[in-house]
Amino acid sequence: MKTFFSELFKKANSGFWPIVITLGFLIVGTISVYQSPRSLSAFLTLMLCPLLLYFMKINMKIKIFIGLLLIIVILPVLGIRNIFYLEVIFQMAVFAALALGLNIVIGMAGLLDLGYVAFYAVGAYTWAIFGSKQLSLLHSIPGAAPAGAEFTLSPTYFWLFLFLGVGLAALAGILLGLPVLRLRGDYLAIVTLGFGEVIRVLALNLDKPLNLTNGPQGITPIQRPPLPPEFIIGPIRTLLTPIVGRPPTDAEFYNVFFYFIALFIIMIAIMVATRLEDSRIGRAWTAIREDETAAIAMGIPLVRMKLAAFAAGASFAGAMGVLYSANRTFVSPETFSFLQSIGVLTMVILGGLGSIPGVIFGASAVVILNIQVLQNFSLYLSELRQSDAVIPIINFAWKDLSNQLDPAKYQKLVFGIILVLMMIFRPSGLIPAERRKRELVEEKE
Amino acid sequence: MKQFTSNPFYKFILFPIGQILVFALGASLVLSLFTVLLAYIFRAGITGFDLVERVLLILPQVVINGLTIGFVYSTIALGYTMVYGVLEFINFSHSEIFMVGGIVGVELMAYFDHTGALQTMNQYVIIALAILLGMVISGSLAVTVERVAYRPLRGAPRLVPLISAIGMSFFLQDAVRLILSLTTGEFNVILPNFGTFDEFLVVAVPGIATPLRFQIKSILLVGVTVLMLVGLNYLVNGTKIGKAIRAVAQDRPSASLMGINVNMIISITFLIGGALGGAAGVLFALKATKLDPFVGFFPGLKAFTAAVLGGIGNLTGALLGGLILGLLESFSASYLSTFTNGAFGAEYKDILAFAILILVLILRPSGLLGQTVGQKA
Amino acid sequence: MSLLQTNNVVKRFGGLVAVNKMTFSVDEGHIVSIIGPNGAGKTTFFNSLTGIYKPEEGEILFKDHSLIGLRPDQVSARGISRTFQNIRLFGSMSVIENILVGMHIRLKQNALDALFRSKKFNEEEKDAEQKASALMEYVGLKNVGNELARNLPYGGQRRIEIARALAANPTLLLLDEPTAGMNPNETEDAIKLFRRIRDEKGITILLIEHDMRVVMGISEYISVMDYGEKIAEGTPQEIRKNQRVIEAYLGRDAASSKD
Repeated sequence: MKTFFSELFKKANSGFWPIVITLGFLIVGTISVYQSPRSLSAFLTLMLCPLLLYFMKINMKIKIFIGLLLIIVILPVLGIRNIFYLEVIFQMAVFAALALGLNIVIGMAGLLDLGYVAFYAVGAYTWAIFGSKQLSLLHSIPGAAPAGAEFTLSPTYFWLFLFLGVGLAALAGILLGLPVLRLRGDYLAIVTLGFGEVIRVLALNLDKPLNLTNGPQGITPIQRPPLPPEFIIGPIRTLLTPIVGRPPTDAEFYNVFFYFIALFIIMIAIMVATRLEDSRIGRAWTAIREDETAAIAMGIPLVRMKLAAFAAGASFAGAMGVLYSANRTFVSPETFSFLQSIGVLTMVILGGLGSIPGVIFGASAVVILNIQVLQNFSLYLSELRQSDAVIPIINFAWKDLSNQLDPAKYQKLVFGIILVLMMIFRPSGLIPAERRKRELVEEKE
Repeated sequence: MKQFTSNPFYKFILFPIGQILVFALGASLVLSLFTVLLAYIFRAGITGFDLVERVLLILPQVVINGLTIGFVYSTIALGYTMVYGVLEFINFSHSEIFMVGGIVGVELMAYFDHTGALQTMNQYVIIALAILLGMVISGSLAVTVERVAYRPLRGAPRLVPLISAIGMSFFLQDAVRLILSLTTGEFNVILPNFGTFDEFLVVAVPGIATPLRFQIKSILLVGVTVLMLVGLNYLVNGTKIGKAIRAVAQDRPSASLMGINVNMIISITFLIGGALGGAAGVLFALKATKLDPFVGFFPGLKAFTAAVLGGIGNLTGALLGGLILGLLESFSASYLSTFTNGAFGAEYKDILAFAILILVLILRPSGLLGQTVGQKA
Repeated sequence: MSLLQTNNVVKRFGGLVAVNKMTFSVDEGHIVSIIGPNGAGKTTFFNSLTGIYKPEEGEILFKDHSLIGLRPDQVSARGISRTFQNIRLFGSMSVIENILVGMHIRLKQNALDALFRSKKFNEEEKDAEQKASALMEYVGLKNVGNELARNLPYGGQRRIEIARALAANPTLLLLDEPTAGMNPNETEDAIKLFRRIRDEKGITILLIEHDMRVVMGISEYISVMDYGEKIAEGTPQEIRKNQRVIEAYLGRDAASSKD
């Protein structure tokens, strides 16, 4: 059976087949998502395309072309048609960037950071405090905002804060790292977990003595950066109206806009990760991960290199935090729980520690699982519950099923199972990391 | 003298109880003195009330609360420290073992309440049964978790079993929630009402205006934990199994060559640690009265901190660390707001543990009672 | 003038004195060995030299500068490289990458160079890659640059470790039992390699060894340790005749050493 499939795959991956299959999936996926925007299987068909692109033997230029077509044109257009997909792809982009950042810390440098979401919170709260009316509410009690409070900064400052968020998160990474990076790996894990909780508790309680975070109610409204000017939006609107069937609203444009900002950050994240990986710094990180004692004996300054990894990882989270707070126009402490940190960890582990395509895949898979598959499963169960269907043999009527069973609420269960199974059966992930092959002079002989 | 120290009664009963007493009183005394001293220093800066007076007013109660919760932390910390001693591995899911113990105990008591036995049977028998059941279930769960999620990973790089343990912890939280939701339609469990049990023993001390109030539960809790600590001390230091555990902790390959069944000993370690955690869970439930599947997180982390504070791998250290942590938590919950004039309050008590953890790991990574061992190159 | 000089170095673990008042020197351009029975404190002494352990007492001078209190990476930057008794390669990195890690302190690129792929970066990387390939060939390995280090046979891994140590351009090379586990042919090759390293590259070598053929064959000078102390030193001929050495060490292994 196994050989049958591998033979089949080999056959499908030679000659002109790869391009045919990939394009086939792309076209069928696009049309079926277009036709039935609610269908999960249609969306999954479309999302197989990036995987096929990665695995199939296709000319690199064609690969890039199809990939760009998919993420820059097809997905946003389909997203405008069904706003839910915009949310899905935005979340995929956000978490892919977070996973890429965490991958530098865990995958490359081998430092288990269980409080990664703290850096995300630093970014989010930075823009939340300065991009809302919070600064003029410093002395008022949460929920009792006086009328006529003004926004402190104009929304264009968002762009500046995107960089500030990067810097502040990196700084937080260094400040946390300085005392704790000398610790052994498992202690480091617990201390970073603690740090994550500290940040959350601070966000929860820093509504006094000065009302910085507005406590558990969170901060809202947070400003969004202005959309691109009308001479850009206008033609796009005209172009999209017949495809979508109605003129896209500003809210939809905003979501696409944020999706593109997130994509841009991911591009930068991928570039930074690959380029650092393939340099003196990346080699030092891998050496530290493999054997600290040998690494330091080879002249690698351990603490400085670990700090660099921490700061680099944190900075992506900071940027994403700023973006997230603007996208949601709302932040609250509950977004930055331990569960989120473990969620990002699960993405990295599932995809493959140290593997850049792996963690992007992991992030996408977990997001789809979370907000689509589990949701759909919940929906399906509740439909069954309302039907008269009975499980044969054990004679169990679906309508007797407890309405507490809502798979969408069982993320922890899913993350837990993924983590344990991956560690036991496939610790290097579904798309494991590969070392770069070099064209060495001596091999040409 | 030598005869006296080798006397089993002294070695296994008198000495450990004495040790516990010294630790409890010593830690309470030091912290109390420190707080009163602080109160004297800050007294002048605070107007409207006398800081020293206010601190002294509730001090006995604060100490009692601290010791009560401290004993719970100690008992959980023993589970972390035993497993760490044997496997050099942070058993992240221990906090869920603790949680399961508590929930099982409460469910049993709720069942007795439901059948009416709670009113007719002796309350202490019911509690004893609940603790016992909690120990059995938690102990077997700990052994199962080790078999399923840790044993296949023995010998893998350090972080691999740790990640598996984190996964297990998450899995157990939601699995318990699922089971509770499906069976009872509700995942919060609430301790039924006990008559005499919730009452207070009021002791008037001459010279102190307000009498001391001991909740019967607290006395029971301290009593049971002390009993278990003494039992554990005997098990580890006085029996053949204990000797084997210590041998495996010292040098696993050699222990295996000496004919010790290492897998068996590791399972037993998890069994003991899990049973202690389960008992702690039931005792904790008596105090907390309401549990949910996520209740283990903070006590677990604090107990881990306690284990590190005392010197991980060291049983006496876990006891001392737990007591110190419980006291610190109680002191900060009660006094932080008084000292900072309301700016920072009890809500910061949870992150205090992390502050301590970070400080200990930086300043004295081997803990209070641990020895500094040369790092192997 | 001596390149490395230690005076009364003491390293304790709790009550155990692992290295006791080691006074010892290595002259520039020599191959010097430290021998001694198992547990004599040789590796601990090595670890004290390279900054992994901090000695409690004594001084360590390298090119007349003290090494006490320096971290291992700082010691390495001063020009001391080492190999390990039990091979410690970065198993999941390729052979060439292992050697490139060894060059870490010699490379000048920073994060910005790497991010923007500056001209300086590209040239330096290319240069480093060529040097690494050359080193690989120098230690006698061919066409394995892209193999993962852990997939190489034992002898090959030993060679990579030496190449990795050489990559840092050291003045002094410390080898911790470099021929342990090798068969006679491999040992013979290793001895030739050590000689070449000294003769062609002018690198001073200090080695710990058990194999008497190796020690007697290539050392200009030998120090003998037992129970953490230096009990004798001298040329191979002197050591062969030294009564204390024969009692402490050679006596037990006389059969294997008198050939």
